[in-house]
Amino acid sequence: MRYFDDKPELVAAILAKYPPQGRRSSLMPLLREVQTALHYVPAEQIEEIAEIVGVTATEVRAVMSFYSTYSTVPQGKYHLQVCATLSCALAGSDELWDDLCETLGISPGEVTPDGLFSVQKVECLGSCGTAPLVQVGELGYHERLSRQDLHALLDALRRGEYPGPHSPLPVFVHSGQQEDAAGARHGAELKPLGENL
Amino acid sequence: MTATAPRPITSGLDPRFALSLYAHVGEQGSWTLESYRARGGYQAARRALSMDPDRIIDEVKASGLRGRGGAGFATGLKWSFMPLKDGRQHYLLCNADESEPGSFKDRYLMSEDPHQLIEGMLIAGYAMRATVGYIYIRGEYILAAERLEGAISEARAAGILGSKVLGSDFDFQLQVHRGAGAYICGEETALMNSLEGLRANPRLKPPFPAAAGLYGLPTTINNVETLCAVTHILRYGASWHAQMGSGKSLGSKLYQISGPVHRPGVYELPMGTTFAELIEDWAGGPTEPIKAIIPGGSSCPMLPYQQDILDLPMDYEAVAAKGSMLGTGGVILIPQNYCIVNATWNLVRFYAHESCGKCTPCREGIAGWMVHVYEKLVRGQGRPEDVDLILDMSDNIAGKSFCALADACLGPVQSSIALFREEYDHLASTGQPLYPRQSRWLGGGAR
Ligand SMILES: Cc1cc2nc3c(=O)[nH]c(=O)nc-3n(C[C@H](O)[C@H](O)[C@H](O)COP(=O)(O)O)c2cc1C
Ligand code: SF4
Ligand code: FES
Repeated sequence: MRYFDDKPELVAAILAKYPPQGRRSSLMPLLREVQTALHYVPAEQIEEIAEIVGVTATEVRAVMSFYSTYSTVPQGKYHLQVCATLSCALAGSDELWDDLCETLGISPGEVTPDGLFSVQKVECLGSCGTAPLVQVGELGYHERLSRQDLHALLDALRRGEYPGPHSPLPVFVHSGQQEDAAGARHGAELKPLGENL
Repeated sequence: MTATAPRPITSGLDPRFALSLYAHVGEQGSWTLESYRARGGYQAARRALSMDPDRIIDEVKASGLRGRGGAGFATGLKWSFMPLKDGRQHYLLCNADESEPGSFKDRYLMSEDPHQLIEGMLIAGYAMRATVGYIYIRGEYILAAERLEGAISEARAAGILGSKVLGSDFDFQLQVHRGAGAYICGEETALMNSLEGLRANPRLKPPFPAAAGLYGLPTTINNVETLCAVTHILRYGASWHAQMGSGKSLGSKLYQISGPVHRPGVYELPMGTTFAELIEDWAGGPTEPIKAIIPGGSSCPMLPYQQDILDLPMDYEAVAAKGSMLGTGGVILIPQNYCIVNATWNLVRFYAHESCGKCTPCREGIAGWMVHVYEKLVRGQGRPEDVDLILDMSDNIAGKSFCALADACLGPVQSSIALFREEYDHLASTGQPLYPRQSRWLGGGAR
């Protein structure tokens, strides 16, 4: 089945972001569309994208294999990614990972029989201040995740309810002032050009 | 500076210090144009558009701003490498790939206050005669990308982006390009290849991007925080910016701290603030004894957790003088009872996974041998001579790779052996770590 045939506006909008000589730049956005919608990029879509962009399917595969996001085999409806890098490891991400894999009974590359879940260990997600975390596919981050939080999330997803991302801000700013560890607030008021200091 | 010049601001506790970059983070609706305009948004761009572009570059030079992407290169100087109006298309790229372990500052700039980035890019684009900009944002930053797209649409509808920006003769088109999970895309020439739809291998330099960058045309690339700082420099003045900081490191900086502290997070502080102030006064101190500190993201060599290091000002030169780097300002604390070989292996594994495979020292050295020897060690299957083998391999890789990624991996490797050789030797000879694994998933993550 072709994916982009009935989406000419979408394709045109993506191509329009880049200059004529940069048609190939649309490759990644097009791959992302398919990956998000189908949870992988089937061979037929690789051909389709190659056609749109004007390169060979082999070239599309070469690009795909460089990046960790694109998959050539189907992933679960909810692809759960666990950051395993240092700050997360210091917050127990390896235990989180083991718990997740045991609970779901799958390893990377597998999908649960109900088609709901697949798992992947990934590198630093830029959430080191709110470690550990799980990223649910294209839906969002679930940070500072406790064992209870993880199981509550899995239960909700099993019921087909995505509870929405959980991304607490690791900052202590209140209307222009920053709170120190003792609870005192600091921060002068900024005045327009020339009047500061 | 004259004798009467006021003392520079080098502490977030200094009553003269004012937040700029993160002043509105966490406020309801801070990402909307309405909120941004209510606090004076886009007045700096208006001012810039009335100036000669070269005067803007002069102002950025005078501010002392240095790139916040890790290398600390002088921003105004970098901008001056762009050719004068030469009839060709010029590009401005924003590096929003933020993937260096320990770094998580750009993410909130984009999700909480995206208009300051758009304004900074407008100003930078005008100064460098670049009429097209791309923000290359890592693929995983879903919320940040949505907020950016939203802010760009609002700005377009309000005549702030597009043709005749804010009623001037300047045109500026801005697009978001989303990555797909590869650390190397943060390296500036790899980023350009990725944006062109290629595998993200770094390019040979020279030619430098200002001569031949995106699509072979003059290009300048800056980090998110750098471009946001430009907005505030044009808004509050170069001298306001230069009043903060120590030595040659000026302005306000987003420092990040993670690992076992009471309040991990991002803190906006003047450059030159000490590690001690960040860790104790702002982050509330460690929750357990610490042995090492990674000062600025995982590539920066570890330093021992001791008083002379804690008293260091977090500026580029002071940290370099101790044999490390300030990098992105992403501080990671490593606890006493966490096996250092395990901690280092975690980072070696990261670099091995992220090696692009283009050059032999990195592909075979880091992604092949280095990670293999570390894996053997942490599994308890090492031999006593493995530690010297790692050092020997490091010597053979150092300075011989095509881009900075392989050397970045050597930062934690060589420093951890220099500081904690006894832990390595113990593990290599007995098969047992000096500090066995403990449960760290705090009932989970309950901080
Ligand atoms: C392997 C590698 C990864 C990098 N990752 C990033 C990154 O994620 N974000 C960033 O701003 N700079 C990154 N850099 C630095 C950029 O190459 C470049 O120096 C920077 O974007 C320039 O912007 P600045 O002058 O504003 O700092 C990386 C460099 C290397 C070698
Ligand atoms: S050092 Fe590593 S990442 Fe850099 S070009 Fe060589 S193989 Fe690629
Ligand atoms: S180490 Fe996991 S988010 Fe940075």
